[in-house]
Amino acid sequence: MPDVAVPNAAAPAEWGRVRPGRRAADRVLRAFSVCVSAIGVLALGSILGMLLFRGLSALGPGVFTTVTPGPGSQDGGLANAIAGSLVLTAIGIAVATPIGLLAGTYLAEYGRGSRLAVSIRFVNDVLLSAPSILIGLFVYTLMVAPFGTYSGWAGGAALAIIAIPVIVRTTEDMLSLVPATLREAGAALGAPPSRVITLVTWRAARAGIVTGIVLATARIAGETAPLLFTALNNNFWFAGNLVGGVSNLPVTIYQFALSPYGNWQELAWAGALLITAAVLILSVVARHVIRKDAVR
Amino acid sequence: MSAGLATPVPSGRAADESAPSRIAVRRLDFYYGDAHALKGIELDFRDRHVTALIGPSGCGKSTLLRCFNRIYSLYPDQRATGEINIDGRNILSDDVDVNELRARIGMVFQKPTPFPMSIYDNVAFGMRLNERLSRADTDARVESALRKAALWDEVKDKLARSGTGLSGGQQQRLCIARAVAQNPEVILFDEPTSALDPISTGKIEELIEQLRSEFTIAIVTHNMQQAARISQYTAFMYLGEVVEFGPTGGIFMNPAKKQTHDYVTGRFG
Repeated sequence: MPDVAVPNAAAPAEWGRVRPGRRAADRVLRAFSVCVSAIGVLALGSILGMLLFRGLSALGPGVFTTVTPGPGSQDGGLANAIAGSLVLTAIGIAVATPIGLLAGTYLAEYGRGSRLAVSIRFVNDVLLSAPSILIGLFVYTLMVAPFGTYSGWAGGAALAIIAIPVIVRTTEDMLSLVPATLREAGAALGAPPSRVITLVTWRAARAGIVTGIVLATARIAGETAPLLFTALNNNFWFAGNLVGGVSNLPVTIYQFALSPYGNWQELAWAGALLITAAVLILSVVARHVIRKDAVR
Repeated sequence: MSAGLATPVPSGRAADESAPSRIAVRRLDFYYGDAHALKGIELDFRDRHVTALIGPSGCGKSTLLRCFNRIYSLYPDQRATGEINIDGRNILSDDVDVNELRARIGMVFQKPTPFPMSIYDNVAFGMRLNERLSRADTDARVESALRKAALWDEVKDKLARSGTGLSGGQQQRLCIARAVAQNPEVILFDEPTSALDPISTGKIEELIEQLRSEFTIAIVTHNMQQAARISQYTAFMYLGEVVEFGPTGGIFMNPAKKQTHDYVTGRFG
């Protein structure tokens, strides 16, 4: 037996036992975090519960078949507002997708650390958090005031401006995750940069890019402020050329919820439920796309 | 064991000193920004031989390999000066179309790099870029390339499946098939087996042995036994310079320089 000094041989340290103070601290912290989570879930749950309760009771076939009622009239539906929202969102995403995709590609593939790319990235981040009412006013001065009329085109443009920075950002982030060796492998086969990007890196980042577009769609589907000054809203079917106001769900909800008419308030609940459901479905689709890609 | 660990297994075909030089490197210097990574490299890679580049990490062997298809030029701060003559043409000259050059020089990387597309599309990728082929011709070229890469039997029934779903070793052979499908003159291997298990490594080595009958091959490897097994010529590099170059047997059995001797016997590196 080698001669080794045992530290504190006289007073063996107690171990294997939790000090009572520590156990109490653990209990307090655990209770606190459970309470806080419960408050958060409760708030969200009560909103969704109320929405389901009031929305479902207001939801009937008439909501999808009749147009929004005028003041003082009975019943009515949201058919024109639903169609208008679909059209405005489609215009917004159709304009934003190519611009956002190409700008994001520039930032990730061509620009990288260049001064231009750094400033574009900065401006894009600012735009990402710009108040949407400002974007509505901007489009108002550009596309509404000069023509003296509200239009679906202006509404679509305002929504596009909100969607573009979202798509730019996700596209750039997703392309940045593609390993450099994959680009090198494409280049090593004699593919010029344009082909490497379209055939290899876009494909590799496809799921993430599509997810970004879907999430941008969900974001603009519920936007109200940018539409107030651009597409406005009304109780009629919009004209085929989208000139004049285009009825849409978010502004309809905003106006109807503030109104004194019972049937308007009912329809506001139904509209809110529809938008929430649409956003939920889009988010689920986005998740599904990601998961499918991860499995592959 | 005075001769050290790297007992060379004689390669299937010995170095043929009369074989013409396919790649002639002259006064090659390479810079990463201000860092001088290759210094006055002079080397000849003989036609239809395997030439191994060995040396400790950071010695410049991968950098040298990346000069032959100018893949370094994807990065703006990297540049090479001097000459690399392939079939008598200096490929470093400005008027060389790098995409055409890269179509003629295949490259296989350390980590397998299958594209996120079907096995068939992976192999057909290069020929679709550079040639107009009928469906039947493309089919034939894809099959022939996969056969040369010893992968055909494993994938012939699932050509439409994604290339990324294959095992690591299969992915690497897919990348070899992709390079071979272009009918290149030279194939560059940058540590092609360092991410693979021993069985896959063995298959890749056998494959390189077979490909040598058709292609001029340059391979960077950290594994000295591998260099001894599969190459006919070996260049030992250190600190950006070629210390010693010659037939593989000589480099491993009877190196002229002390540094080479120390490296191949495992004393440093």
